Amino acid sequence: MSTDVSRPARPGTPPPALRQDRRVPRVFYLMVLPAVALFAVFHTLPLLTGMFFSLTNYAGYGEWSFVGLQNYANLFGDDRIYGAYGFTFLFAIVSTIAVNIIALAVAIALNGRIRFKTGFRGIFFIPNILSILIVGYVFNYLFSNSVPAIAEALGITSLTTSILASPDTAWIGVVILSVWQAAAFNIIIYLAGLQTIPTELYEAAALDGASPWKQFTSITFPMIGAFFTINMVLSLKNFLQVFDQIISLTAGGPGTSTESISVLIYRGGFQGGEYGYQTANAVIYLFVIIAISFIQLRILQRREASF
Amino acid sequence: MKLPPGPALRAVRCLAGGTALALVLSACAPQDDVVTLDFFQFKPEAVADFGAIIDRFEAANPGIRVVQNHVPDADTAIRTLLVKDKTPDVLTLNGNGRYGELAEACVFADLSDLPVVEQVRPAVGDIIGDLGSCSADEVNAVPFSNNASGILYNKDLFEQHGVEVPTTWDELLAAAQTFEDAGVTPFYTTLKDAWTVSPAFVNLGGALQPEGFFDRLRAEGLDVASGEVSFSQDYPEAMEKLTTLYGFGQDGAASRDYNAGNAAFGAGESAMYMQGSYAIPAIRASNPDANIGSFPYPATNSPEDTVVVSGVDVAVSVGRDTEHPEEARRFVEFLMSPEVVQQYAEDQSAFSPLATGAETTDPALAGLAPYFDDNRIIGFIDHQLPASLPLPQYLQELALGGSVEDFLSVMDREWSKIAARTIPNEKD
Repeated sequence: MSTDVSRPARPGTPPPALRQDRRVPRVFYLMVLPAVALFAVFHTLPLLTGMFFSLTNYAGYGEWSFVGLQNYANLFGDDRIYGAYGFTFLFAIVSTIAVNIIALAVAIALNGRIRFKTGFRGIFFIPNILSILIVGYVFNYLFSNSVPAIAEALGITSLTTSILASPDTAWIGVVILSVWQAAAFNIIIYLAGLQTIPTELYEAAALDGASPWKQFTSITFPMIGAFFTINMVLSLKNFLQVFDQIISLTAGGPGTSTESISVLIYRGGFQGGEYGYQTANAVIYLFVIIAISFIQLRILQRREASF
Repeated sequence: MKLPPGPALRAVRCLAGGTALALVLSACAPQDDVVTLDFFQFKPEAVADFGAIIDRFEAANPGIRVVQNHVPDADTAIRTLLVKDKTPDVLTLNGNGRYGELAEACVFADLSDLPVVEQVRPAVGDIIGDLGSCSADEVNAVPFSNNASGILYNKDLFEQHGVEVPTTWDELLAAAQTFEDAGVTPFYTTLKDAWTVSPAFVNLGGALQPEGFFDRLRAEGLDVASGEVSFSQDYPEAMEKLTTLYGFGQDGAASRDYNAGNAAFGAGESAMYMQGSYAIPAIRASNPDANIGSFPYPATNSPEDTVVVSGVDVAVSVGRDTEHPEEARRFVEFLMSPEVVQQYAEDQSAFSPLATGAETTDPALAGLAPYFDDNRIIGFIDHQLPASLPLPQYLQELALGGSVEDFLSVMDREWSKIAARTIPNEKD
């Protein structure tokens, strides 16, 4: 990731005139301007509005007044929010690990010399372009009706009741759907990474008699370190924001066993009439996600192989 | 491409604006002297019924066009509209706690001067007034139809097994036991939908709670744990009885939802079903020949204490800042005319909220109707709870095998937490 070193050295010092030309022309700034303006209007402004309302008792409608930091103070005493944090982190960590193992395995298989390679790559990408909500309702039907029916026919008693129906197992259903859907995107990133590895490395390793596993641990994995980092950070961030999957599969239930933080914010804020309070929850969660992504990036980048 | 100004351009604009926008912008009306009312209708079962009512209204009032807006998840949709300051001109909502919160936020017009307000049954008027209003002397909604919650039963199965309609708690348990021994599911329960446990809660809790429980609870605010009334102290009996009834449910209840329950009960898969009058049209849709009866929950062993839980199934309101208050009122008056209310009540197996309304003739409601006519009705107690308390979810956890003690302490804790963070606006 050290770009400065790789710049070709110039013979001698450049003349002063050339140095001045290296300034970025003004037109580049002008070209960025529309994007900055759109980002500010549709992202930064709503964010600041939300932060403002987190200091009020606004219900989402009607009149409101300022309450200062009262919402934030109440958040820390709310065990329902702690429950949602616990579920969300457990879910996000399990899913991130599962999705990266599966995506890397599939990507390596799709990168090998197999038949119908492009066809398979297309098929494996399909889950990513489908709407999670629609897929979620399909999975909901499968988990509630098809899987129990098949299990009954095969005599597997432990699966004859829907896994979504029990507070102890419902989260597994959410993990399965989320991993299935998210793997497609991670496979694409890993495939891009695998194609950057020069084949000479493998030829040399094969001549030295390295086993395929040795080749994977010593060449493949270190060489795609940057892609691994990106996938880990993006997966964890996306899974921490899990929403559609839960709405379509369990709606946070049974009971409140699969209530993620996003679902809690939506439920309490829009349906429960506690817009100000849940906005405060959202503001804190925003900083939590930023902090986690930042720490994760630092740790993972440190162990990336530099080449 | 240049368009000639005038009607053609406006038509194109209207098309481009999409139907959603067209509903809001009265500029899209074909003629300027026709007023278009945006009518928000929350009940998915009644879209066709309201369509027919609107057709009759428009025929009688050529100057007014009514556009029925129906969306899934109306509770969330109306809040989103309110956030955007797009209150519909006329709207129907379920008369529940969420309606009460909106009314207290002063988003609905005052309808107290409408003549029809005087014709509403006093008990029904109290139910909707108790939910909340902008100020004490305002009427923010008129009740259009009433439901009643009780236990529905399969008359054929009762006859076949020689079971009488139970009038006491012990008789109810004996009846359930008889069916279970005979291999018939006593109650079809649908635990995939959290809310379907609420009817049993409101009936048992409402009948067994001490007088003025919620008023006293509200007065206690956040000191529920040390106060003289609390869920932990006053609800154990009701919740024990609730779990007893759910113990008579069929296998696999956790993966069955409301629709499955209506179909299964309609097909005679269980003797009883803990749902109210609102489920009857859906049950009949799955099996038109279903022989349905009803009786109120006998919460105690003294039949004279038995009451029916009734709520305003459909309440009609007018947006406070509507641009067409005159036309909106005319539409509300048409909706509330005795023949429209009566026709709707018959189509939807509901009760008429009007004092002059005819008695219901639906045989499925015959067991509940006398209580309604004698004013032996109480409101839905879950409407007294703040919407941010996830009561259905906690009830679902309990019915799936949770402990009564945990449920009650969670209810107390959530209640006091919400009381602590509900900071009232400073009244000017």
